[in-house]
Amino acid sequence: MAPGTKVDPSDVTLPLPCLPSAEGDAIKVFVRIRPLPEGSISGGDGDQGLCLSANSPNSIRLNSKPEPRIFTFDHVADMEATQESVFSNVAKNIVESCMNGYNGTIFAYGQTGSGKTFTMMGPSESDNFTHSLRGVIPRSFEYLFFLINREKEKAGDGKSFLCKCSFIEIYNEQIFDLLDSASAGLLLREHIKKGVFVVGAVEQVVTSAAEAYQVLSMGWRNRRVASTSMNRESSRSHAVFTVTIESMEKCNEIVNIRSSQLNLVDLAGSERQKDSQTEGVRLKEAGSINRSLSCLGQVITALVDVANGKQRHICYRDSKLTFLLRDSLGGNAKTFIIANVHPGSKCFGETLSTLQFAQRAKLIKNKAVVNEDTQGNVN
Amino acid sequence: MADSWRQVCDIYQRAVTASEVESKSDPETEPFRSKYRARELLREVRALLRPREEEEGSGQQAEAGDGQEGEDGERLLAAQLGLIEFRLGVNHTETEEMSAGEEHLVKCGRILERCRMTEECVSVYIQAQNNLGILWADRGEVIVSQRYLESAESLYFQYMKEVGKPPMDSDDLFSTEEKKLTEQERSKRFERVYTHTLYYLAQVYKHLKQDERAAQYCHTTLQRQLEYDSYNPVEWAINAATLSQYYLGKQMYMESRHCLSAADVIFTKAEQTISPETTKENETEQDRIEFLGQKKAEIARCWIKYCLSLMEDVRKKLEDNIGELDFDIQDELKAQRKRDEDAKEKGRKKAILFGSSDIYDSILAVEEKVECSYPLDFKEAREVFLIGQKYVNEAKEFFQLDGHVSDHVEVVRDHSALFKVLAFFEEDDERRCKMHKRRIDMLEPVCKELNPQYYLLVCRQLQFELADICYEMMDLKIAIGNTLDEMDSHTIKKINTLAQSAITYYEMFLDSLRNPEKKFPDKLDEDVLRPALVAKFHIARLYGKLICTDLKKQLKNTQTSLNYYFFLVDYCDKYEEAIKSVETELELSKEMVALLPARMERLRVYSKKGEPQENDWRSENSWSK
Repeated sequence: MAPGTKVDPSDVTLPLPCLPSAEGDAIKVFVRIRPLPEGSISGGDGDQGLCLSANSPNSIRLNSKPEPRIFTFDHVADMEATQESVFSNVAKNIVESCMNGYNGTIFAYGQTGSGKTFTMMGPSESDNFTHSLRGVIPRSFEYLFFLINREKEKAGDGKSFLCKCSFIEIYNEQIFDLLDSASAGLLLREHIKKGVFVVGAVEQVVTSAAEAYQVLSMGWRNRRVASTSMNRESSRSHAVFTVTIESMEKCNEIVNIRSSQLNLVDLAGSERQKDSQTEGVRLKEAGSINRSLSCLGQVITALVDVANGKQRHICYRDSKLTFLLRDSLGGNAKTFIIANVHPGSKCFGETLSTLQFAQRAKLIKNKAVVNEDTQGNVN
Repeated sequence: MADSWRQVCDIYQRAVTASEVESKSDPETEPFRSKYRARELLREVRALLRPREEEEGSGQQAEAGDGQEGEDGERLLAAQLGLIEFRLGVNHTETEEMSAGEEHLVKCGRILERCRMTEECVSVYIQAQNNLGILWADRGEVIVSQRYLESAESLYFQYMKEVGKPPMDSDDLFSTEEKKLTEQERSKRFERVYTHTLYYLAQVYKHLKQDERAAQYCHTTLQRQLEYDSYNPVEWAINAATLSQYYLGKQMYMESRHCLSAADVIFTKAEQTISPETTKENETEQDRIEFLGQKKAEIARCWIKYCLSLMEDVRKKLEDNIGELDFDIQDELKAQRKRDEDAKEKGRKKAILFGSSDIYDSILAVEEKVECSYPLDFKEAREVFLIGQKYVNEAKEFFQLDGHVSDHVEVVRDHSALFKVLAFFEEDDERRCKMHKRRIDMLEPVCKELNPQYYLLVCRQLQFELADICYEMMDLKIAIGNTLDEMDSHTIKKINTLAQSAITYYEMFLDSLRNPEKKFPDKLDEDVLRPALVAKFHIARLYGKLICTDLKKQLKNTQTSLNYYFFLVDYCDKYEEAIKSVETELELSKEMVALLPARMERLRVYSKKGEPQENDWRSENSWSK
């Protein structure tokens, strides 16, 4: 190779240990079964208390009646799975591709009590950052900064990185900044170069995993939680933690800038998402205020058929969450959904709907609806 | 007696306030605090009513004690007890205790069953049925839900037919004499209860996949909201505009136009309520202006789709087998429209319409500006086009590129589509070309600006569309050139440039399918399969169309063309499931794969001989048409 040709593309990119090449950007689904809470194992429930079991590393058996049902996913982790194995199965790849300039998103989905927080954060009420049971998020931070530091060492002064964090919450279709508790009602906008962003959200620069974790825990305390007589504490909001990674590389006068986003999303407990379409049949109530039947629109929206190539305009935009994460749901990104399920028989209904959701999510793909006109072309 | 009644009313009122007003400001940590308190208060009211029921066997008004009034009192007490059960039922469902809620609602129905056709009870009874409908739908039992709601619907009809008097409202049942509602107000409230029934039924029919019925119930709901003046104008307008899009799908243009015109009229009402000289400091007012701006733009976009569908629909009817305007069909449709209009004169075709007389007149005035019958020639098409373009500009006022990228691009693409379909009606090729040039001018700058990392799909759509436009313009230029005795160098240059641009854009699209290692996928995903293969096919055609006198270059272009045709044939050999999506293209490609080697052989011979080659483009074009 000639001395001047340092800009060989294979040199610029990081080593990719296991980037799946031909798999495209379809959403991957990872199901994790949490262990039964202590005490209930020794209880009278016994084995009859379980409504599901992992069949193989990628399928799960739900003991429904009359016939058991089998669901297949990219990976199924049973009760014994360690935090480390969840991280390396789910997040490692995504963090690596973020370093290469791709956007990545990890969702946690499941009913309250199915282990979302444990999976993403770690055991509650402890310093999750050093705890041996720490979850996906702290581990992702560690790995991200490990990669950054390695990269810096390798490239010397030639390469620099800038990481910024933001943390927002979507509650009742309104956006709040968890890093600035005084703010309210933020707007979503699209930038022509940078995609979707939250106007005015605080972006905190971080230089290490520990700093990133500090930002996270600060915001986490500001989240909205609620308890009812039927449910213990449960989250009623979606929280989106975003790390923006920018790298700048100088190579023979050429400055190569890359930017990517890592989104870590904790969805509201799935049993609370009554208004989401995934719930199926529920009716929208007009409520006690007689003046407004705002939800009528949702019925009409459902009637408008956009399927057969005909274009219509639907006035009701998707939810804020799907708009914010549009790139993750069928855009140019790597996305993983961790579906958490509780194996107890009492949770059968919610577990079934979680698995069904997860299965539907697998179908979400990069929908390239290319405008094309067959008429007059084949002439 | 009167005092104790006042006390009962007071407790009841406190329960209602707790449930409907105070609960809104409950702390996040105890979301149902006020609901739980309301529940206690309702139970208190029930306890206060019950003993009287046992002691006197009648309600508080039964003092006079004659038979008729005793019966009245009994009914009133039943209504009151039913209402309490109804409220308890709703309270439980709101706090996520479904089964308890159901018990109360069913009990309410049982208490009222006997006297449900009376002015005291009918409203509460229907409300309880509505809520049972909701409850069962929440459990996924839509059929049960449908049964409750349809029974509520038929009770309404029966009551209106047999009794018809404005029934008592729930607020009447626990109020002191001086606070009783007027008859007019009572009737209005009762109609609203029934409107809710219709609205829930619309949802139930939707879930049961009875779309037409669901749409009809949506329409009636909107109609009734207007009639009984119980709506939020912005919301109403948006609902009506959305409904117009349903009618578009069914090609019911008259209904669609009516919805849109009504949306315009009602929306203007909402706009008038804000003062134009609002100060900048007033942030909520600013928010409201922004909100209204967006909604206005949304309605404009529905109008754009209306114009576009109308034109595209008729285009499909009018075009012949090579996609050109068929004059015979045009004459035929014109004659048919004439006949339709005459028939309409005699007995005007009735569609479902909105509004009382004064609103209806305003809607009519808006309707008059737009046709709802198919445009059949350039002049008529241009009128529709201009309306569409007007709304494009209106929509762009809010959906600016900076901040609303995807929406903006969609509006621009609609604008481009409007030009495209207008060009179909244009007979002069030069002018057609100019229209397409306008499309390139509006799409190209956006396409260049966008970052494909975030707008991959949008970029792909733009690339493909730009490629198609260049391709179409090239065809038009060739057609123009063919009318000349000899093609001048300017035209030839133009054709080649357009072909090159088309190739570039198709290649950009194909490149976007490559994986991180820049490798083109072996197997295409289903959703990009057809576009990708069509792009390959078009590139092949384009290389065949490039005009040049240099034989070597011609040979090279033909070889490239052959390679692309071959890709298609090869791919379909390998993945047979792809065949069905590109049947025509595949057939032509196979032909070309068989034909081109012979042509190349001829070219080789010529180039060896060094003989001047006649322009090959002409022979190829005659083959293609």
